[in-house]
Amino acid sequence: MHSLVEPNAWVAIKLPSENLRVLQLTPNTTISLGKYGSFPSNLIIHRPYHITYELEDKKDDETFNRLRIVPASELYSDILSSSSFLSPDSASPGHEGDDADDVIPTGVEYALVDADSGAVVAKTDRAELDAEARQSLTMEQIEELKKDVTDAGRDIITKLMLSHTAISQKTEYSLAKYKLLKTKKYIRRFCKDPAKIMDLREEMIGLLGCWANVHFGGESRCLSEEEQEMAANGVDSVTKPEDSTGRWLVVDDTGGLLVAAMAERMGVLYPPEKDEDGINPPQKRRRDSESQAEPAGGEGDSEAQAPSAEQTQPPSAGGENPGQEHVVTKRVKYPTGDPRHKDDMAVPYANCNTMTLLHHNSQPNLSFLRYYDFDNTNPTQSLTHPLARHLMTLSWLQLLDPSADSTYANEPPTVNPDELKSWKANRRGNYHRKRRRWARIRHVVDRTRSGGFSGLVVASTMDPTSIMRHAVPLLAGGAPIAIYSQTPEPLTALMDCYSVARRAAWISDPPEKAIGKTTEELEQWAGTDEFPLNPSLVLGAAMQTSRVRKWQVLPGRTHPLMTSKGGAEGYIFTAWRVKPAEGRVEARGKGRTKKGKSGR
Amino acid sequence: MGAASPFLEPGTRTSANSLAIVHLSRDNLLPVILQESKGEVDGYAEGSVINTRFGSFPHTTLINQPWGAQVRASIVDTGSRGRKRKLQDQETAVEDSEGAGSTTTPGQATPKDLETASSGFVHILPPTPEVWTTSLPHRTQVVYTPDYSYILHRIRARPGMRIIEAGAGSGSFTHASVRAVYSGYPKADDDARGKVFSFEFNETRFHKMEAEVEAHGLKDLVKVSHRDVYNNGFLVDGKSPEAECVFLDLPAPWKALPHLSRSKPAGVEQDAPWVSPLRSDRTVHLCSFSPCIEQVTKTVEVMRQLGWMQIEMFEVSHKRVNVMRERVGLNMPTDRGSNLSPYDVGEAVQRLREVESKSKEFHERTQGVENGEVDVDMDDAPEAQKTNGTPAKGANESKAPISSSAKPYMMGRLIHRTEPEIKTHTSYLVFAVMPQEWTEEQEAAAFAQWPCGRESKVIGKLDKESRKREKRELLHAKSKSKRKRGKDGEAEKAGEAGETEVDNEQDPKRSKPDPQVASS
Repeated sequence: MHSLVEPNAWVAIKLPSENLRVLQLTPNTTISLGKYGSFPSNLIIHRPYHITYELEDKKDDETFNRLRIVPASELYSDILSSSSFLSPDSASPGHEGDDADDVIPTGVEYALVDADSGAVVAKTDRAELDAEARQSLTMEQIEELKKDVTDAGRDIITKLMLSHTAISQKTEYSLAKYKLLKTKKYIRRFCKDPAKIMDLREEMIGLLGCWANVHFGGESRCLSEEEQEMAANGVDSVTKPEDSTGRWLVVDDTGGLLVAAMAERMGVLYPPEKDEDGINPPQKRRRDSESQAEPAGGEGDSEAQAPSAEQTQPPSAGGENPGQEHVVTKRVKYPTGDPRHKDDMAVPYANCNTMTLLHHNSQPNLSFLRYYDFDNTNPTQSLTHPLARHLMTLSWLQLLDPSADSTYANEPPTVNPDELKSWKANRRGNYHRKRRRWARIRHVVDRTRSGGFSGLVVASTMDPTSIMRHAVPLLAGGAPIAIYSQTPEPLTALMDCYSVARRAAWISDPPEKAIGKTTEELEQWAGTDEFPLNPSLVLGAAMQTSRVRKWQVLPGRTHPLMTSKGGAEGYIFTAWRVKPAEGRVEARGKGRTKKGKSGR
Repeated sequence: MGAASPFLEPGTRTSANSLAIVHLSRDNLLPVILQESKGEVDGYAEGSVINTRFGSFPHTTLINQPWGAQVRASIVDTGSRGRKRKLQDQETAVEDSEGAGSTTTPGQATPKDLETASSGFVHILPPTPEVWTTSLPHRTQVVYTPDYSYILHRIRARPGMRIIEAGAGSGSFTHASVRAVYSGYPKADDDARGKVFSFEFNETRFHKMEAEVEAHGLKDLVKVSHRDVYNNGFLVDGKSPEAECVFLDLPAPWKALPHLSRSKPAGVEQDAPWVSPLRSDRTVHLCSFSPCIEQVTKTVEVMRQLGWMQIEMFEVSHKRVNVMRERVGLNMPTDRGSNLSPYDVGEAVQRLREVESKSKEFHERTQGVENGEVDVDMDDAPEAQKTNGTPAKGANESKAPISSSAKPYMMGRLIHRTEPEIKTHTSYLVFAVMPQEWTEEQEAAAFAQWPCGRESKVIGKLDKESRKREKRELLHAKSKSKRKRGKDGEAEKAGEAGETEVDNEQDPKRSKPDPQVASS
């Protein structure tokens, strides 16, 4: 993630009302926040995230409002002063460790309040205090302030006013105008419509990612030169599941939220940084190591080149961008002619640290990823975005019956280079685009079908049992499985497929169809009423739910928030893919005879 | 760099001298470092052996298996081992020459020699922080998966980042965080990759932690320091860890917080120039993990003084859910877990009718035989016996066909319920962020690069003024080209509807600034 707000980045602005506004920061525009006022977008471009600003009044000679950074001391002045107000009462006699607390620095602003009225306030009678307050401010003003300081009671308001009389009327007023500018790229920020993202809460995203063990899956070891050649010649690249680690299988019906969250864990969500300091950002290093390993962009496409490639990219020329040009000069594929076209059969995908998305429509819905500058529907999407190389998508049809899918099955005819040269640029571009698309699909489908995935993550509205039937055989041994469901019912049905009694029956009294079949054949178990899934392929099926509760922490008024969001509770199924031993397995157990086999 | 940690890149098979998890049952997972031993170990001819209630598993049968493999128990001589050793001790005491012989005579048993035992099997799984958390040796309170998954998500620990962890404790968070920040092993000294900087005050725990990190192949990715962070801060060899994420699991986090400042905080005595452990050009995310509310109050107060922003406190409530079949009905098989009471009103009524008719039948019979000599006491006793007997008999009769065809795992209704015991409180999580420092010079430079005053359009919510102005312009444009009208009008209407809604919400606050302005 970038350290500073980039132009055209998506940001979320937190308003004094605690509402968030998500905007794309186009340079040279005015950002209007309704009644809070407006300011030029340029004032927050190339500024840090997470800063609180105050909108200043227009200067006489300027046409715009400037922003002032509000320091934390000012932001918390009311709370800190109220805690000082409370301290004489709250310091109980047995209060331990007070001496050691000397380390805690006391801020300047703290002293300010204390020095003036704060100390006196602590001893003043409540009635007096109110009277005093009314003298300095009118009743209307008190009412106004009440509305400002949202969850604080009448007490705090009175205190607040007293302490602020010490500062200035101006500051008091400006409390109402604070604006918090927050980072974008924070998944929660966009959860505007919970239904669209299947009520997937943050704690659930965290749990899913952990239980599926999604993490950076190793350095990209891309295909060797020979394999490149073979792929180039139309031969299916030899897939070696042994080499490839860190490949995750994802089913996502949340519009890309889950994909984004998993990509974040794998370190492929954020576009490479334009580095401006001494410390190497990891994304940059990673991209460098990738570009060294693969032909595309091989000769260290430097920071300066990368963005220019993006900008000068022709909008609809079928994905040829200058970044790819010099690649071709290196591996001369068409000696006779145009060196501009790189080999159509070379696929851009990395073979490590990748995510493969299974989708139910002909195209995946990944609209959420546009907040991260990635648009999978855009054919000219730049390859500099890590997701372009690390995210593969295929439909269930392509997975289960690829020959029925026209994109996969019908290879666009190859045209002889001389004839190609005679074509118009437009037609030629189209030709290459089709060839490349076919090669990509071919690669993704073949590779996915060869299996060996390191984990499965699901947040889908489809029946999890059917997903498991087809996805489990694709997983490597020991691979974790994590499935999210809004409601418990689909997951209880899935859990029941792996119930202790059913597992035991699978061994002791196997169904007729399963008798005499090898372990490999049983991996493709089609399912019966009694055994919807092969229960011996999965171990440790468990179900859980989690919810966080937010608290308000204020001096003397700490308690959980009074209200929070309802909606779907959300459940997670977890398990591991295992490899059953060939043949009959005895499980007598020892000791606890009755429970001996439970959970196995 | 040795082999990659099995936590991060487990490969496809188990290997010797590497950690593997032996899965016995859901809550019984056994972490084992597989040893390829030559010769007898600990009295076992097979080398190192794991003994479980499902039988014995020599390590040799577990090495070079695909992950997730189901492994059968082997026949291992466990009984004579103790005797042999005792015997051996005696022999050594009495005659040295004989004793030496017994250790060398049994040859190394190869996996082929081992016979499968019918006592059971285990599965062998690759280690993950989740599995490790459930199976690790407890040294202190453990940070469990529901907590650490949420924390790591919130403090945005991602590949390539550097994270400070104070209070390494049992190491569950260490393992989870190293997975989160892992971005490959450093290839050179200056190759800065994602790394965990772990600090532990307790010396015993520190040594155990260090050994564990080494054994798990994480030495290059986790730096464990023995440190009192309250007094000595978070620098490693005087250098800044350049952390972007901080996790504090300390009894008094407020004492450590001053050391996590951007610039030297007031009250810290230090002669040397201030080196911040935080990365200067990034926002830093922090989480403090405390079980008591008093700790939270104190921590938050100090956070506010030190300039941490967006301070929020959460509590995680996690439940495991058990799924089972609830078998209620008169004709359910009579095994454990079945409830032999009527499934529904129909069944209840039917049963009552049966009882009724049986008793009527009995009455008729007795009345017929005894010819009106009705003794109430005598009559009641056999009837009671009879009624008690009938339902069981009836159930057995109707049960017979069911039990032969239907499977018990298909019967009854599928239900779920929370596990019998839940952790209702682990700790409070306090989150906060520290934005990077922004000087006036930086601001001036940014302002020079992005000058203002040339704004061409407005985005976001408009105020009344500009909305009116836009509408006027729009109407003006419409009158010029009638073709556009339909489209724009609609769009405008839709926009209006959205705006009004929001306005209404905030209307009460609307007039707020005015009195203030008047008074100032």
